[in-house]
Amino acid sequence: MKRFFFICIIAFASCTESDEQSKYLRWVGDSEFNPKIDSGDFELCNSENLVRQYFHFDRGLGYKGGKKELRKIYAEAYKQPVDVDQSGMIRIRFIVNCKGETGRFRMISSDLNYKAQTFDKKITDQLLRITQSLNGWDIHSMNEIPQDYYQYLIFKIEHGDIIELMP
Amino acid sequence: MRKTPCLITLLLSCGLFAQPNCEAYKYHGDDLKYRACKVAEKRAGHYQFSRAYQEALDEALAIDSTFAYAYKVKSTAYLKSGDFITWKELIDQAVKYDPEGELFYRASCRYQFFRDYQGAIDDIDLLDSLVDYDIGYSQNGDYHLNIVKALCYKGIGSPNRALEIFEEQLSDSTHFTGIYDYLHLGVLYLEMGNYSKALESFKRQELENDIAENRYYSALAYKAIGNRKKWLENLELAKKKHEQRERMFDPYTENMDQIFLSDILNEIEVSLNSFNNN
Repeated sequence: MKRFFFICIIAFASCTESDEQSKYLRWVGDSEFNPKIDSGDFELCNSENLVRQYFHFDRGLGYKGGKKELRKIYAEAYKQPVDVDQSGMIRIRFIVNCKGETGRFRMISSDLNYKAQTFDKKITDQLLRITQSLNGWDIHSMNEIPQDYYQYLIFKIEHGDIIELMP
Repeated sequence: MRKTPCLITLLLSCGLFAQPNCEAYKYHGDDLKYRACKVAEKRAGHYQFSRAYQEALDEALAIDSTFAYAYKVKSTAYLKSGDFITWKELIDQAVKYDPEGELFYRASCRYQFFRDYQGAIDDIDLLDSLVDYDIGYSQNGDYHLNIVKALCYKGIGSPNRALEIFEEQLSDSTHFTGIYDYLHLGVLYLEMGNYSKALESFKRQELENDIAENRYYSALAYKAIGNRKKWLENLELAKKKHEQRERMFDPYTENMDQIFLSDILNEIEVSLNSFNNN
C-alpha cells in the first residue's frame, strides 16, 4: 500500500512539474480565473478540466433567436463613435456555464491584416458591455448533464462600425 | 457524383490533416523533415487544443523550423478558438514554406471564419498562378476553391464577376458538384433579378441537396414572378425542412446564404397577409 501511495505522489509531482514548465494551459485559449478582472459571482458547474468548446455539441452557435437576434441586439445597442475611425477585428471570448450564465470575458483585437491592434475604448467598452448583458445563450448537455463551454464572438469593424458578426 | 463532396467532407472532418508519410521525406533525402515528422507523430491520440498536441508540434518545429505541415496543424486550435492573430502568424509560416500545399487552407479559412473576402481571393489567385493542376477544394470539402472565389466576389459587392466564375466552374466537365453550389448560384441570380435562372438553379439544387434554404429562396423567386401558390408552398416546405434540420449547417460558422427559422416564419406571415388582403 505504501508503495502505491509513493507511486501516486511521484506521478502527481511529475505531472505538476510538467504543467508548470509548459507554456500551455490545458487547452489552447483556456481562461484561468483572475480575481482582478473576473467576477467572483460567476461559477462553473463542473470542473475546470471539463469546460468544452461551443462546437463540441454539433449545434453551432446557440443563442435564443439565433444569430439574427444577436445581430439585432448589437445593431440597436452599439453606437458608432463619431470621432473614431478604426478598422479591424475584435474577439470577445467567454464561458457559458450550465445555467446559461456568462463570465471570464477576454478580448483580443487586430487590424484588418490580423496584426495586433488596440481599439479605442469607445468601441471596446461598448462591445464588452453589450456582450456581458447577453442572456440567451443555449444550455448544452452531454449525457443529459448540462455543460460549461467557451463561446466567442468576433466583430469586424470598419471605420468604427460593426460590419460583420462571427462565427 | 452527387455523393462525392459529402465523402470529401467526411474524410476531411475525420482525418483532418492526416499525418504525412514520414518515410517519403526519408526517401527524398530530407532527414531533418523526416525526424521532425516522426516527432510530430507524438501528438497522435491527443486533442488538437491540448498541451500534449501543441508541445509535440513545437518539438517538431524545433528540429525543422520549415516544416509547413506542423505550422498548419498547430494553427487549427487557434482558428477554432477565434484567435485570429496567432492563427494567422502560424498559417503564414505554413504558406511561406509550402505555398502550393497550404494556400488552399489559408484561403478557405479566411473566407469561412473571418469573411476576409479579398484575402481569400488573393490567396486563391496566388495558388492558381503557382500550380498547373486543379487548385482543389476548401478545407471543409464543401466547395471547389473557384466557388469560394465566386462567393468572395459576391461578398465584396461584385456579383457580375461572381457569376462569371460560377458559370465557368460549373460548366467544367471535371467539376464535382458541391453540396451548396446551385443554391448559391440561384441566390445570386435572385439578387440580380434573374428569376427564371434562379429557379432553374434551385431545381438543380433540389437534385443535389434539397435543403430548407433552397425552398426558402425558391419561394422568394416565385413571389417575385407573382406565383403566390408556389410562394407559400415552398415556404411551408422550407419550414418543415428547417425543423427537421435539413438545412445548411457548419458546427463552427454561419454559411453565406444561410437562413433562420424566423426568416421563414416572417415570410409565411407576409405571404398569408397577402392572401388575406386579396
